[in-house]
Amino acid sequence: MMAIPSLKKETKTQEIKRLPDPPYVLLSLLGYQEPLKPVIASGAHVQKYQLIAQSETHWSIKLHAPISGIANVVEYNGQRYLKITNDFKNDSIVCTPPKVASLNNQDILKVIRDAGIVGSGGAGFPTHIKYDVSDRPITHFIINGAECEPYLSADYALMNQAENHLWKTVQVIQKLLQADQVVLAIEKQHRELKKKMEHQIAQLNINIKIQLLGNDYPQGSELQLIKAVAGKIIPKGSITAHHGVVVSNIGTIAAIANALYLGIPYTERIVTISGEKARTKGNFLLKIGTPISYLLKQMGQDWLPSDHQIILGGPMMGSPIAHSEESISKGTGGVLLLKHLYQKTFNCIQCGYCADVCPQKLMPMEFARHAANDNIDGLQHFNLKSCIECGACAYVCPSDVPLISSILTGKQLIKTK
Amino acid sequence: MNLHPFIKAPRNTTQAIMLDVIVALIPIAMASYLAYGTLALTLLGTAITTAVVTDLLFSGILFGNWKTPLDGTSVITAMLLTFTISPLTPWFVVAFGAAAAILFGKILWGGLGKNRFNPALVGREFMASVFPSILGASSIWATTSFINLPAQDFFTGAANEPVKTYLSSLLYNPSGALGEYSTFLIVLGGLYLTLRKRISWHIPTMLLGVFAISCVVIGDTVNLEYSFAGLLFGTIFMATDMPSSPNNAPGKIYYGAMIGLVTFILVWSGVKFSYLSYSILILNGFSSIISEVFKPNPWGETNNRLQKSEKIALLTIAILGVTFAVIYLHENHALIYVLVVYILYVVLKYASDFRHKLKYPI
Ligand code: SF4
Ligand code: SF4
Repeated sequence: MMAIPSLKKETKTQEIKRLPDPPYVLLSLLGYQEPLKPVIASGAHVQKYQLIAQSETHWSIKLHAPISGIANVVEYNGQRYLKITNDFKNDSIVCTPPKVASLNNQDILKVIRDAGIVGSGGAGFPTHIKYDVSDRPITHFIINGAECEPYLSADYALMNQAENHLWKTVQVIQKLLQADQVVLAIEKQHRELKKKMEHQIAQLNINIKIQLLGNDYPQGSELQLIKAVAGKIIPKGSITAHHGVVVSNIGTIAAIANALYLGIPYTERIVTISGEKARTKGNFLLKIGTPISYLLKQMGQDWLPSDHQIILGGPMMGSPIAHSEESISKGTGGVLLLKHLYQKTFNCIQCGYCADVCPQKLMPMEFARHAANDNIDGLQHFNLKSCIECGACAYVCPSDVPLISSILTGKQLIKTK
Repeated sequence: MNLHPFIKAPRNTTQAIMLDVIVALIPIAMASYLAYGTLALTLLGTAITTAVVTDLLFSGILFGNWKTPLDGTSVITAMLLTFTISPLTPWFVVAFGAAAAILFGKILWGGLGKNRFNPALVGREFMASVFPSILGASSIWATTSFINLPAQDFFTGAANEPVKTYLSSLLYNPSGALGEYSTFLIVLGGLYLTLRKRISWHIPTMLLGVFAISCVVIGDTVNLEYSFAGLLFGTIFMATDMPSSPNNAPGKIYYGAMIGLVTFILVWSGVKFSYLSYSILILNGFSSIISEVFKPNPWGETNNRLQKSEKIALLTIAILGVTFAVIYLHENHALIYVLVVYILYVVLKYASDFRHKLKYPI
């Protein structure tokens, strides 16, 4: 693991700003491992916060309208979206927050489910399923505030401007999980937050321990976080609750807080806009579905693919957009305008840097070797399955050995064996 | 489509690494110039030119890549090679060594990073085996009359004569091979590379530590013939060569320790001049196995200690076995056959295997 320099400092203390509502939103109909099905007719008028699509499997993910207007199913690059054209009437369904104190566990899970809440970190796992731990003993409920992706500061901004509801929500979830300990983990470089939040929490008489972690990437990755906080080494691919640990992002908690105390479904989130090529940098409260084209316009900037690339998420694990009609999803913590990398590919020089930084203690150069030779046994021998695709190895490799593509092809090889 | 990550560690390309090594070697080159003037520069220039031209020609012809010398490694190989020989070595011997180092030490393995042995040392053994009468002659080390700038007293005024001379000799002492004239500058280069994270402490510390401990344990240090500055130079610049040394920390610890031990055994058995070269080359051969045996325990996996210990024991026995074989061959002047086998091996391997994997990065 290693420290990565970035522009985080430039945006982290900026106040969360709002933008005027976009003229339309594009909501991806991709759920968790399955497509979502619209529950309204194409061309229908929808109200703000109205349920508009949901999955039909046990994941039961729900999608709500962030604005009011006319909804249509559209397709970009073979992906289906629900497009809502804003009528700017802000015609909203009436939201009545539940009486939190009188909710039992099943009620709380239902509130979370019906608000369409999934992890805000990017993987999009439905939160109501994660929290359904039945009678398993939970030793640690960990709130992930270690936004280890460089450039991103959305979680910092959220914690910096935290309202009491956020901490009360933590308490509700702690009771739901019957967790022995609640720990909020943040990076050492943000230690100024600790005192501030501790003060706030103490006034509410809530028991949350705030723990400072190292500044190394990927400290906020689930397995590394659990090790740092709970001292448990959990193999990749196992369900953390089976080891007595539940981890949630601070952003997810904020979404739940909105559902519990305002009755609002997951329809907006904080997003960091940054990168060397971004004219405006900062933290913005955006509607889910806000198209990138609209953001660029607000920033007074055009996308010049020859000059820069646009990344959704962090620079280490995010993904580049293919067209400017891609949009903010529930898991998008950042929109980054970064210059292109000019890769100077050499052979592997066995420097071992990649192995030094691998949080999973793997030997990434061996994946390049065995993926090139289609050697599945070799890939398995070096534990490819434990790789969390954090990108640390490729970040540090001086020869630009195609490590991530070897890892991805390698995993594909193993799967299709 | 582009894959993540979308940022890269700054100033960390392979060329930057090679440049750092060159930077660390330049003061040493200057010390050799101080000591032997144009004699040193001619050899250095000959080696670098030959190495770069060989690299250009053969990578160009065999790999179709005419930019290979830009990676900087052929310059480093040439410098390292020159720093292990006497200033009186004839220029054509050096040119031969540099060409052999690049061709047989690097290119036939498939180019940068794919070589198992340190190319500079491969070149050195080519010279030593092909020109034994020149390099083996004691006259080649009779360099006193060629010295430009004799040893200096850098501590005028200090009282204690032996201490003074000793300290001065650490700064500058024009005897031995071209890279050995300033212990101080060698250490400085090592510190620079450590700070820049181009080498780590593991190999040098373990190598020198084990060597020193072996000397103490045996006790009889009077009859041991070795050059401390030479040992230091090889430790810092040769044993830490990235492609030919293990790529993880525990592996490096074992590797360094074993070079220290093997070097001591060689010195103790009376191998002169080539002790460090042999020991590093022997361990080079085991480097990738060491990397694998000592690979870190992946996250969430349990460690099979017994199996690992067994592997380490076998590995150690194998390394010692090879060491004694080398001593035997050395004493019987039969190492030339090893060289012939080596040449056959790389040529055949290149033709049958390496040639087809040129586009693979590893
Ligand atoms: S991407 Fe995989 S192999 Fe590379 S550093 Fe991360 S976990 Fe290790
Ligand atoms: S970082 Fe790159 S060059 Fe270094 S060992 Fe890993 S793959 Fe090879």
